[in-house]
Amino acid sequence: MTTTKVSVNVEWLSACGGCDTSLVDLHEKILQLFDAVQIQHWPLITDIKERPKAKIGLISGAVRSQHDHKVAVEMRERCDAIVAFGTCAVYGGISAASLAHSNAEILDRVYVHNPTTVGGAAPKNTVAVLEDKVLPLDEVIPVDLYLPGCPPHANFTFEALAAVIAGRVPKARDESVCGRCKRTMKKTEVAAIDSGYAHPMDPSLCFLSQGQICLGSVTLDRCLSPCTEVGAACTGCAGPTMQILTEPNRDLRTEVAERMSLLTKIPAAKVVETMEAGAKSHYAYAMATKMVGSKPTFLIKKWIEKIEATT
Amino acid sequence: MSQTIIVDPVTRIEGHAKVLLDLDDGGKVKSAGLVVNELRGFERILVGMQAATMPAVTARICGVCPSAHAIAAAKAIDAATHAEVPVAGHLLRELLYMGHVIHSHAVHLFALAGPDLLFGVDSDPAKRNIVGIVEAHPVIAKKALRLRSLGQKINETLGGRGVHPVTVVAGGLSFVPTPERMASVTEMATEALALVQELAPPIIQALLALLEKSPQLAGIKQETAYLGTVRNGKLNLYDGTLRLVGADGKILKEFAAAAYAEHLVEHTYDWSYMKPVFAKVDGKEVVYRVGPLARVNLADGMETPLADAALTAFRAQWGRVVHVTALQEHARLIELLYACEKAVLLAKDPAARGNTLAPVTFTAGRGVAHVEAPRGTLLHDYQVDAAGVVRSANLIVATQHNYAAINRSLTQSAEALGVKGPADGNLLNGLEYTIRTYDPCLSCATHAVGRMPMQVSVRKDGVVLYDVRRDS
Ligand code: SF4
Ligand code: SF4
Ligand code: SF4
Repeated sequence: MTTTKVSVNVEWLSACGGCDTSLVDLHEKILQLFDAVQIQHWPLITDIKERPKAKIGLISGAVRSQHDHKVAVEMRERCDAIVAFGTCAVYGGISAASLAHSNAEILDRVYVHNPTTVGGAAPKNTVAVLEDKVLPLDEVIPVDLYLPGCPPHANFTFEALAAVIAGRVPKARDESVCGRCKRTMKKTEVAAIDSGYAHPMDPSLCFLSQGQICLGSVTLDRCLSPCTEVGAACTGCAGPTMQILTEPNRDLRTEVAERMSLLTKIPAAKVVETMEAGAKSHYAYAMATKMVGSKPTFLIKKWIEKIEATT
Repeated sequence: MSQTIIVDPVTRIEGHAKVLLDLDDGGKVKSAGLVVNELRGFERILVGMQAATMPAVTARICGVCPSAHAIAAAKAIDAATHAEVPVAGHLLRELLYMGHVIHSHAVHLFALAGPDLLFGVDSDPAKRNIVGIVEAHPVIAKKALRLRSLGQKINETLGGRGVHPVTVVAGGLSFVPTPERMASVTEMATEALALVQELAPPIIQALLALLEKSPQLAGIKQETAYLGTVRNGKLNLYDGTLRLVGADGKILKEFAAAAYAEHLVEHTYDWSYMKPVFAKVDGKEVVYRVGPLARVNLADGMETPLADAALTAFRAQWGRVVHVTALQEHARLIELLYACEKAVLLAKDPAARGNTLAPVTFTAGRGVAHVEAPRGTLLHDYQVDAAGVVRSANLIVATQHNYAAINRSLTQSAEALGVKGPADGNLLNGLEYTIRTYDPCLSCATHAVGRMPMQVSVRKDGVVLYDVRRDS
């Protein structure tokens, strides 16, 4: 990093704070970061309330309310470069699962028809008005750099910041999570989808070979693929690969289905059907982005209604 | 005629809020309330998702305490499916969780409360942050950062990731850690325990000095009831019985998490997305607090020797039940000590080796579970179906329990500070500090995190007269 300090504003919209916390997970490197940048505004840790002009603006979280919207616009005005930091900012993230419901439905469940809440009515004074739906950051302001990941691994964040500071393109490969996964893909005789929790699974074999859904092959690696090594299938929290995003006819479920059907005896159609039934989980992180949500074959609302209708 | 003021933004709190001040005819403070301005609606959006994903998904409610959500969710699904989690599964989840608590308490003490402790509440805001601490107290800062890192790395070594761990699943832990992983966890826990013992004395000194310098802080107290968790009477963060004590320390009731709906009730405000919770005691609704101070107040003692000695000393100085809100930081330090000691014990426990995961079979059912999140009791309640899909979800998070007390404290502070017009920096700082001593995690509280900008809106008869804020 350079010797003159670069000014940075950090801001969060509808976020969980995990992206901010992951910055601190630079561990010892954070001191190096403090040497290179002048953090002017960071609600989590500094007491400066205004947002001065800055070279870099790091924004985590999706746009959920009109207040988020206003803050995003202000950040754009005051920062030379805006980084959409984390899956929520890039694709809408987990709260985008609310796309399946109207605001009225959500407010009703939280404040009115709630088992432990009495005399409830949804708040309507003083609080920020919710946007009709969750929006990724770039639907509200132009974004200069996208850094998905829920949260992104600190190495990518460090590299992204170093690159913006030095005015170069960040070194980040467009590889999928499979690229770093140590499990072996191999052809098996498995004939049925496996939930993964009903009996012990083989810790060294690719989940797909065992009939368990893993989104590693359709998910961009911005995490260093930590999950499959500790017994957890990838749930796609960093969002889709470039291929899925840019090719209208490719989709999470069709890609995973194709791969799993090659590795097992499970028909691709069966995999597609299972993933549609579990759509709210499998598409949890990226459904708000138009690049996923506007695909002609993406019928998320219909699938979710179907799940909720069965008893 | 009464009026309202708004304080915006409160920084260094995980959340997003402003303060509403209602004035009476004489221009005196009538009531104050923290407006939580963000809502993500998890109780609705979780419905229809796969129950097995609840630990990983609900971790995203709060990136500041993701491990707490993951564990509460996993335990709730364990309960719904009657999964028989192996002993090693429980012990390793608890060990992972101690790592998380070390990280979280260390962040709070050093990065969030630390600047107030070391520089005073009225110091230059440009320096009053972690970067300022690094410059002014490099040795303490380095050690504190190291302690935080160790906690987070313990959490990550067992959780797969630091923020949003993935190994905490229904049935136990998703993998059996290799002997190398366990050795590294043991080493990190041991180093953390040594570090916390070096850091405790300067932190206690700074707290005492702050109370001496700003005597008004010692006056900010709330005589409330307290809710927390004990196992065999001792403070426990991973599991146990919920205990509610009165302001005098007498036990009002003890109950299992599964019975929470009989003992706790949520209300709504029409000016905030956060719902306050009250305890039902003898037909009355009682204001109580949760978190480190609540827990040390209601526990008979601590399970580990150093923490127990620290608690004994704390009680000798401040009394058996402590209401001074600023002493929350001292209580947090006692818990930090406990978490380090407990981590060492768990890491070395032979019972924490071997199989960690039980098979899980879904039948239609309900599961309720809780955990003591760093900031207080966290409850998850799910109804699942035989296909393993979530049918309903209800959550009560730490800051909600404190909400009624926060608003009471704000009213008190505003009364003490007085309202002097739109450029009242003192009012902003004072109210902000009051909120910060509660360590509210507002993301959690509305199941949304956001910034916590601060603005005080002064109202009379529901009409905003003016705002006190520090925007440029
Ligand atoms: S991307 Fe993930 S870690 Fe970041 S704010 Fe969103 S939910 Fe939290
Ligand atoms: S599909 Fe999953 S388990 Fe298989 S190689 Fe890719 S990331 Fe690994
Ligand atoms: S779930 Fe997938 S994308 Fe998310 S951290 Fe794990 S491997 Fe990476």
